[in-house]
Amino acid sequence: MKSRFLSLAAGLAASAALIPGSLVAPAVHAEDSFYKKAAQPYTGTTIRVLDEITPLQETLAKIVPEFEKETGIKVEYELLNHFEVINKGQADMLSGRGFYDAVMLHNFQLGPMLSAEAILPIDKLVADPKLSNPDLNTADFIQQPYKTAAFTNGKQYSFINWNYNQVYWTRADLIGNEAEKTAFKAKYGYDLAPAKTIEQMRDIAEFFTRKKGEKLAGETLQSDFYGIVLEGIKGGSTFPALWNNFMKNYGGDIIDAKGKPIFDSPENVAALKMWAELWKFAPPGIAEYSLVDVPTVMGNGIAAQSIAWSDFVLGIDKPGVSPLAGKFVYGPVPAKAGREGQRHAEAEPSVTVITEASRNPEATFIFLQWLTDRKQQDKLIEMGKGGVPIRESAWALDAIKSNPNPSLFAAMQSTLEVATAKPKMPKFYELYDALSGVAQEVGLGRISPEDGARKGQAEMLKICEECLL
Amino acid sequence: MAATSVTEPTARSGVFWTSVTVIYALVVLFPIFWMATMMVKPNEAMFARPTQWLFTPTLEHFTYVLAQGFHWHLLTSFVLCTISTALVVIIGTPAAYAFARFEMRAKDDLFLFILASRMAPPVCLVIPFYLIFAKVGLLDTFLGLTLAYMTFNLSFYIWVLRSFCRDLPKELEEAAALEGWSKLQIFRRVVFPLLRNGIVATAVLCFIFAWNEFLFAFMLGGRGVETLPVSIPKLITSQGVRWGEMAVVGMTALLPVLAVVFVLQRHIVRGLTLGAVKG
Amino acid sequence: MTSVTHAGSPEIATVRKPHSGRTWYPYLLIAPSMLTLVVVSLIPFIYAIYLSFHEAKFGRVKDFIWFENYGALLSDPRFWNSIGTAVTFVAIAVPIEFMLGLAGAMVLNQNVKGRSILIPLLFMPAMMAPIVVGLLWKIMLAGSWGFISFNVFERFGLLQETSIFASPDLALYALIFVDIWQWTPFMMLAFFAGLQALPLAPYRAAAVDGAGPFQIFFHLTLPMMTPLLAVIGLLRFIDAFKVFDTIYILTGGGPGTSTETPSILANKMTFEFWNIGEASALAVLVWIAFFIFCNVFYQVAKKRLNAF
Repeated sequence: MKSRFLSLAAGLAASAALIPGSLVAPAVHAEDSFYKKAAQPYTGTTIRVLDEITPLQETLAKIVPEFEKETGIKVEYELLNHFEVINKGQADMLSGRGFYDAVMLHNFQLGPMLSAEAILPIDKLVADPKLSNPDLNTADFIQQPYKTAAFTNGKQYSFINWNYNQVYWTRADLIGNEAEKTAFKAKYGYDLAPAKTIEQMRDIAEFFTRKKGEKLAGETLQSDFYGIVLEGIKGGSTFPALWNNFMKNYGGDIIDAKGKPIFDSPENVAALKMWAELWKFAPPGIAEYSLVDVPTVMGNGIAAQSIAWSDFVLGIDKPGVSPLAGKFVYGPVPAKAGREGQRHAEAEPSVTVITEASRNPEATFIFLQWLTDRKQQDKLIEMGKGGVPIRESAWALDAIKSNPNPSLFAAMQSTLEVATAKPKMPKFYELYDALSGVAQEVGLGRISPEDGARKGQAEMLKICEECLL
Repeated sequence: MAATSVTEPTARSGVFWTSVTVIYALVVLFPIFWMATMMVKPNEAMFARPTQWLFTPTLEHFTYVLAQGFHWHLLTSFVLCTISTALVVIIGTPAAYAFARFEMRAKDDLFLFILASRMAPPVCLVIPFYLIFAKVGLLDTFLGLTLAYMTFNLSFYIWVLRSFCRDLPKELEEAAALEGWSKLQIFRRVVFPLLRNGIVATAVLCFIFAWNEFLFAFMLGGRGVETLPVSIPKLITSQGVRWGEMAVVGMTALLPVLAVVFVLQRHIVRGLTLGAVKG
Repeated sequence: MTSVTHAGSPEIATVRKPHSGRTWYPYLLIAPSMLTLVVVSLIPFIYAIYLSFHEAKFGRVKDFIWFENYGALLSDPRFWNSIGTAVTFVAIAVPIEFMLGLAGAMVLNQNVKGRSILIPLLFMPAMMAPIVVGLLWKIMLAGSWGFISFNVFERFGLLQETSIFASPDLALYALIFVDIWQWTPFMMLAFFAGLQALPLAPYRAAAVDGAGPFQIFFHLTLPMMTPLLAVIGLLRFIDAFKVFDTIYILTGGGPGTSTETPSILANKMTFEFWNIGEASALAVLVWIAFFIFCNVFYQVAKKRLNAF
């Protein structure tokens, strides 16, 4: 019902909600008929789509049959986990096998896949009035992630499908505890609250790092407690988090506008110092924590703060999963003090692309438009009782507005405001592998931040001197 | 050691060695036991600190696993591994016998060639396989995977079975040959029965290798042929690992193999210990 | 007739006479296997050799570049590091698995009660998919939330600075431990099956002669078991060198490159860097090394131990 309501012009008086859901608005009719009409030459074709399995896609899988009903195009919608979707999707695309018509790519895969010319540009399809939905309203996509992920060097390769993003995650019960508040103020001279800056995050991390037997919020600790938990495994998203949440917030970056490595900049050294400092307040196993372990540790209640993927948070912060469900509070990824105006945050805007070897690009293109269409997107969020929006209009949906966890969605929105896709680097994986090793070594204190910066720079130069596509 | 029982009374040492084995088993199997409890453990208690020993069991993990159709993967795995192991036995047994019994030109080289197929890391070969299979249309087919499994199982089978073949008494074959039996008859009626224990033991090991294989099954299989190990990483989702479900699948995957070993072990254990020979 | 008796007996050739007349028979017996292996093993491998001489980035086979992939690999310290890691891994894990497996098989071979139940149970670690074994030991040893980490290490104040898999010094040994846990039962069962298949007559004779247990072990059991011990040991050696799944799940090769074996490195080259040419070169190099090693091992074991 709500989705229909929203398909009317936004800003209608609340009384419009009284229109019964069964009354189909004319606008919806028009949309329906577009896909149906556009798909007419392709009815009966089967397209194969490979996507990543998360709760978001599990919900989407329930909507996909409606497309088949509407258009007569059959969709085999296959879901694999993160690592498999990368291995298998890339194997298919790079071998030119063309088994999949569309494959979901994380934005970091775009550089390598574009340089291998394995992705079909969709400019021609977009320009084709027979295929292109005039009412798709791409202006409603959350713009920065969309623009940076879907377009490369003037060509369009996709729309936007999944706005994975990171948020700051802490414990309301600890931050709000009166005794802790008093003690914190006495020690640091300002009020205890969810961190707005990286420096505050450090102070909070230090403040809450306690040994077994000490008191925490009035209770004696049965085991050690840690001020922060971050991802530290080699691989995963350890390095992207260091890059976007720390280095870029400090004003650094790994390459300049021309693609030359600048890993040893003073800004990066400062960011690495903070990175190493935070690891001191993290659980001893941090170097083996993947993006899966971090939420587990937070859910177990042995750490005070974290920066984690918001879609993971959705899975942990619910009754029956974590005993602490409902006691968490979220915020934007903290910025560097004094640079709040130029904040950055790690996000992974991900897209579904048409493979170069696809034999059904037109039918696939119709499906991709249908997926990102507002009607489906609204439904996705309603059915998932939340989710990670790709459209600005989604923030106004009931499922998000009346979500029991408003701070999470506010944090998501704030991350997505500044989220960008990674620069398109053909050798992303090599860089990433080398630099996540450096991130670990600096974090573990095996090398100093200065040496880490030098080592990172040297390793980058070995891989590429011009790192952009 | 082996022979202690030859000289000592067997009853007392039997109790001793049994308790040694049981204690060893308890220690070694504890992690598996722990995983078994996770099958019915609610998520809240899964990794609670301190460890929660008592909990109200739940069947939610089973429900999820069934809803995801994991039993079909179990069936796929079973059929695939049975067929591929049977093929290995049919093709490999004569070869193992030949290598143990007969002189051949360049026999050592041929024998090493067989092992050579097992030497390169499978990770490096999976892409050549993928590219070839993509060309000839074997990707995501039963036949394709059965063939791929031969690479590691056939060589293993021939090498191990050959060492069993060596200990066969030749006299029987010679006697049968003098009786005028054909070679096929000798093989079927003399060699095969004598070799049965070795064949069963080696085939069980091959079955287990195939049962647990991941990389080939993942890259060369797909929706058409999806084995149980391949279905496990699906449980590593962005909500974290579905540990309970993982435990269910992991333990379920054990059951058929456990059953196979349990049923076939009478072929491995001849029911007589060396020690019992004397008594 | 046992291997003991035909060890060094020159008349074996004459014993084999009944079959030696028609030479086609053994070739017929091995033909199906050879054919299968040519199709499933030789062809992909030849293709890998072909790829190793080409620039094959991102799955596209481009120029023929002679030995450039090999050069790149051999001059990469990371490759040598991975070889070193694998050698350490194998040198510690395999002998322990071998000894424990043999000892376990001997124990099982005693008058153990309830063996029909115990054998399948004991064998369970080797029955599990390596990927499950990896996850299982993560449950046991993961930092802070692992069962053993919490109930043993934390309770007794061991390892406060780090967790096992997060420590570059300990991670490899933990992985070796996991490998031993997983594969000792395999060795045990294989050896046990071998013990059970030994002929009884020599033991009867030895018992009549009043031989002691050690004499029997060293003069009867061990020589008769040598062929199986050599084969199983060699196969485990090869497999241990190629270990992949458990490391991939538990450490991914880290921290740093401290647990990066050739298989893990090859996986990176293949599925992350998509440098198929260099990954194929790695396969060929590892293959050559093994081929030489196996050849030498085979010849020595054949001559000295009569193992083949």
